[in-house]
Amino acid sequence: MITRRTMFGALAGTTLLTVPGLLRAFEFPSEPMTIQIWWHEFGPLTAYMNELIAAYQGLHPNIRIESVVVSSGDLNQKLTVALATGTGPHIIDNDASFFGLYYSKGLLDPLNLDVFGTADYQGIQDLYTPGGLDAATFDGKVYALPFQANSMSLFINNKEFAAAGLDPVADAPKTWEDMIALGPKLKITEGSRTVQKAFDFPYHSPRWELQLFQPLVEQFGGRLLAEDGVTVAANSEAAVKALTLWRDVTRVTGDPRTTMNVSSAPNQDFLDGRTAMWTTGPWATPQIHASAIGEDFTVVSYPQLDPQNPRTILYGFMWAVNSSKPDAEKAVAWDFIRFMLSKPEEWIAKVGFLQPLKGVAETEVAKNFPFFAVHMKDIETGSWYVRSEFTNEISQAIGRAIERTVYDDVDPQASLDQAQSEIERAIR
Amino acid sequence: MSPVSSSRSARPGPASSGPKTPGRRPWLTPGSKQTAFAWAILLPALLILAIFRFLPMLEAFYLSFTDYDLISPPRWVGLQNFIDLTQDPLFLKSVQVSLIYVSCSVIPVIPLSLGLAILFNRALLARNFLRSAIFMPVVMPAVVMAVVWTFMYQQDGVMNTILGWVGIDPVPWLRSSSTALWSVIMIGIWRAVPYYMVIFLAGLQAIPRDYYDAAKIDGAGSWATFRYITLPLLKPTMLLVVVMNVIVAMKVFAVPMIMTGGGPGDATRVLPLFIYQTAFEFFDMGKASAMSVVMFAILMAFAFIQVRLFTRKEEQ
Repeated sequence: MITRRTMFGALAGTTLLTVPGLLRAFEFPSEPMTIQIWWHEFGPLTAYMNELIAAYQGLHPNIRIESVVVSSGDLNQKLTVALATGTGPHIIDNDASFFGLYYSKGLLDPLNLDVFGTADYQGIQDLYTPGGLDAATFDGKVYALPFQANSMSLFINNKEFAAAGLDPVADAPKTWEDMIALGPKLKITEGSRTVQKAFDFPYHSPRWELQLFQPLVEQFGGRLLAEDGVTVAANSEAAVKALTLWRDVTRVTGDPRTTMNVSSAPNQDFLDGRTAMWTTGPWATPQIHASAIGEDFTVVSYPQLDPQNPRTILYGFMWAVNSSKPDAEKAVAWDFIRFMLSKPEEWIAKVGFLQPLKGVAETEVAKNFPFFAVHMKDIETGSWYVRSEFTNEISQAIGRAIERTVYDDVDPQASLDQAQSEIERAIR
Repeated sequence: MSPVSSSRSARPGPASSGPKTPGRRPWLTPGSKQTAFAWAILLPALLILAIFRFLPMLEAFYLSFTDYDLISPPRWVGLQNFIDLTQDPLFLKSVQVSLIYVSCSVIPVIPLSLGLAILFNRALLARNFLRSAIFMPVVMPAVVMAVVWTFMYQQDGVMNTILGWVGIDPVPWLRSSSTALWSVIMIGIWRAVPYYMVIFLAGLQAIPRDYYDAAKIDGAGSWATFRYITLPLLKPTMLLVVVMNVIVAMKVFAVPMIMTGGGPGDATRVLPLFIYQTAFEFFDMGKASAMSVVMFAILMAFAFIQVRLFTRKEEQ
C-alpha cells in the first residue's frame, strides 16, 4: 500500500517538474524534426493536448508534433502492434499496467536526465508523492511519467438522495454495510423493471471490474498479485469474501441487467440518473458538470469494510518514449513530455486529471476542484492496479468470474477457482 | 495447367496432315498466345490474392507452430500450441459457442429465406419495394447494426416495449448468459435471411417455366410441385446457401464484439472473438494462429461434408 501523507505537505510553491541545480544543459536541436504522439480518446484530453501542441510548436518552430487519437478500447492493441512492427509513435500513452510488458521487451527509453536537468532518477522521484512513480520505475530507473493518477471514489446524485429523504453528506455510505442498508431506500422498481439503481458495480469492461474488485480483496486482507507479477491468488479466502460481498451488495442495490454503460461511455447510467451512486475517478467531473446533474452531486470516499484501515485503487495513464527512435528525436520527445506535464494545475482545471506530484494539492486550482480532498484521500490509500505482463488475462478471468457469480449465481468459490485455473494456464 | 481449356485444340499436333513449314517453329503458337494472354490478364489478381490472402495464411500456419508475442522473435514449439488447445477450457467453450451459433443461425435461415423467395417470386403488390425493404439489413454495416440492436435490446428498448404490450416482463437480452447468445443469433438470422432470399430468388427464376406448366397439366398440387420440381432444381442453390451461411456464421465477429464483448462471462465468446482476444489482447500470436488453423479445418470439414452429401444425393 502506498501512503501519500506528503501530498498535503509543505511543498507549496515548488516549481513542478523542475529540478534545482541543472547539471548538463540539454542542447535543443535546430534542425526540423517530427515527433509523433498517440493518445487515448477523451474529449477534454484531446482539446487540451491540441492546445499544448500548438504552444510547443510555437516555442520550437522547427518541431512538428504529429498526433493520432485512438479509441480507448483499441489503444493497447494498436500500440502494441505498432511498436512490434516498428511503426509506433515517439511518445507512448497507455494505462500504467502495460508498461511492465513494454519494459520487459526493451521498448522503453529511460527518462532523459539531461532534459529534466537532474543527475539521477532520485531527483525525479523526489518530485512525486511516495509511490507516485511505482508503476513507472523498473530496476531503479524511471521509464515513464504519469499524466493522470486516479482512484475510484463514490459519486452521489444529490437529487436522488433528497428524493429518498436522505442527505448526501450525512447519509453517504462509509462502509459496505451502510451501502446495503441504503439499497432499499434508493433502488426504485416498477414491477420487474428497475427504474433507478441505488448503486451498481461496473460490468462494461473487465478492467473496470478489476479496478473495483482489487480494493475489495485488499479490504479483506488479501492481495491478488504478488510482487513477482506472476503469482496470482484469485481464489484466496479474501478474494472469495470480496466476490461474495460484491454479489450481496449487487442484489440489494443494483441491477446489472439494466445498464447503458459501455467502454466509451462508462459513466452513462450515473449521468442519465439511472443510478444514485457510482464509483468513478476525478476525470469524470467535467462530464458530470455537462450532464443534467450539473453541480448537484457529492463525492465521498470509496466504501470500506473498516474505515479506519482504508484500501482503494490507484490507476492511471503514463507517457514514455519509444526506444527504437533516434537519440535526438527521443530527447525532443522527452522535452515535449516535460513541457506537457509542467502545468499540473491546467491538467486539473481543463481535463480533470490529477498528477501524483508533490505540491499539487496546494495549488489554487486544486483547492477549487470539486471534492479534490476526497479524491486525494482515496489516491493516498490506493494500491496500483495489478501490474503484470498478464494484466489482460488476469482482468478478463476475474471479470468472467464476477459475471458468472452475478449473472448466473455461480458460487463465488467455484467461480474464482475457475478464474485461478484460467490465469495459471495463461501465465504458464 | 492452362486457364483456357480450349487452347489444346488450337495447338498444331504431331499428326497434323497440313503442309510443313520449313525453318524454325514460331516462338508462340496461336494457342499459346491465347494462354499467355489469359495468364497476363489473371496475373495482377493472382498476385494480389497471393500477397494478401495466401501469404498471410501460410504465415499463420507457420506461426501456429511458434511461441510469438509480437514483440520478441517467434520461437519454434512444434505442436505444443495445438496440444494446449485440446486442454484449454476457454478454447473448447468458444468452439462450443461458435458451433451453437452456426447451427442455430444456419438452420432457420434456409426455410425463412426460401419461403420469402417463393413469396417474392410471385406477383405481389409493391413487390420491388418490399424486396428492397427486406434487403436493407444486408447493406447496413455490421457495426451500425450492432449499435442499433444494442439499443433495441435495452430494458426500455423496442423489444421489451413490444413484450410489455402483451404483458411479458422485460427480458435482459444481452445481460444474461442464458439469453445473450440467442439475442446475438437472432441478429445473425435477421441479417442473413434477406441475403440468401435473393440467392434463392435467382435460383427460382432460373427454373424453366415449362416444368411448372407440365406439372399443372398433370394435375400436381402446390406441395407436389414444390417437392418434385422446385426443391430438386434448387439443390445447387441450396448447397451454395448452406456452405456460404456456415462459413459466414462461423466467422461472425463484429456483432458479439460490439454488443457483448463475448460476455456475460463467456456466453457469447465465439471462436473468432477469442482468436482476436488471444492475438491482440493477450498477444499470444502462436496460440491465436493455432486456433485459426483449427477454425480453418472445421470450416473445410463442414464444406467437404456438405458438398459430399449434396453430390451423393444428386447421384442417387
